[in-house]
Amino acid sequence: MTDPTVAEAWVAAPLRRLMEDARLISGVLLYPSGRAVGQFGFSNAADVMSICALTSAINASSRELGRQLDGKPFYETHHAGADRQVFMARCAAGAQEFLFVGVFDRESSVGVVEIYFAEFQKTLENLKPQTEVKGKGPSGDFEGELNRSLDALFGPIGKR
Amino acid sequence: MRVLTEVVATLSHLPGVVVAMVVGANDGLIVETTGIKGADGAQDPRKHTAALAAYLYAKATRAADAARLGTPAFMRLEAEQGHICVVGAGEVVLVTIVTPDANLGRVRLDMMNAARGNL
Repeated sequence: MTDPTVAEAWVAAPLRRLMEDARLISGVLLYPSGRAVGQFGFSNAADVMSICALTSAINASSRELGRQLDGKPFYETHHAGADRQVFMARCAAGAQEFLFVGVFDRESSVGVVEIYFAEFQKTLENLKPQTEVKGKGPSGDFEGELNRSLDALFGPIGKR
Repeated sequence: MRVLTEVVATLSHLPGVVVAMVVGANDGLIVETTGIKGADGAQDPRKHTAALAAYLYAKATRAADAARLGTPAFMRLEAEQGHICVVGAGEVVLVTIVTPDANLGRVRLDMMNAARGNL
């Protein structure tokens, strides 16, 4: 397992603990806008960029689907593949919401991941982001936000 | 589902059994369980016990396999204030939480009978 790389240092310890306890292969913590806050298990910025964009879109879709079907948003998603499984859920630190997506295999289970993600949520609730995020919604510059967060995680393009 | 409900109900009536659950062997999620007053939602301790017991049983199965002992028949975790007993039954595992003074022989026998479909 590799240590998480983070754009904001305050998430490093909780993210490492979640990775180790839940036996996750890889994971990304991001803002709902798609900006990455921390990751583990990836060595390629392009992979993280794709995952952030897809997670952000899936989150928006599943919330709306939940509203349509159940009258309230779906906040947690689990997909079991043949070998690997994906777990997506939201968490918050102060007023700021975050999304998390994690991948695991038969070394773990969704039940175990749920337990340790609940602990991660509690830990994050008691922490505050180092920098306040301006504005409640996305800035509109999705690509710019994504690239800035990837620069923070993997270094600027050309030096990655 | 009725069969699972009956299994859980039968096991829960054994002296010393505090909780009886049927848990997914692969996902660690509760399929059927007896109730605990005041325990519900994300804080329900049964969810934690179920997930971790299924996880432990999977690891014990691998250990037994590595030692060429075959599939574990019965797993018991002895703690200060009681025991957690686990028996595999294909796609599910039966999990009970029992008090220290419970009749473990009876619990073991009934759990194994239930796993074989004899309850």
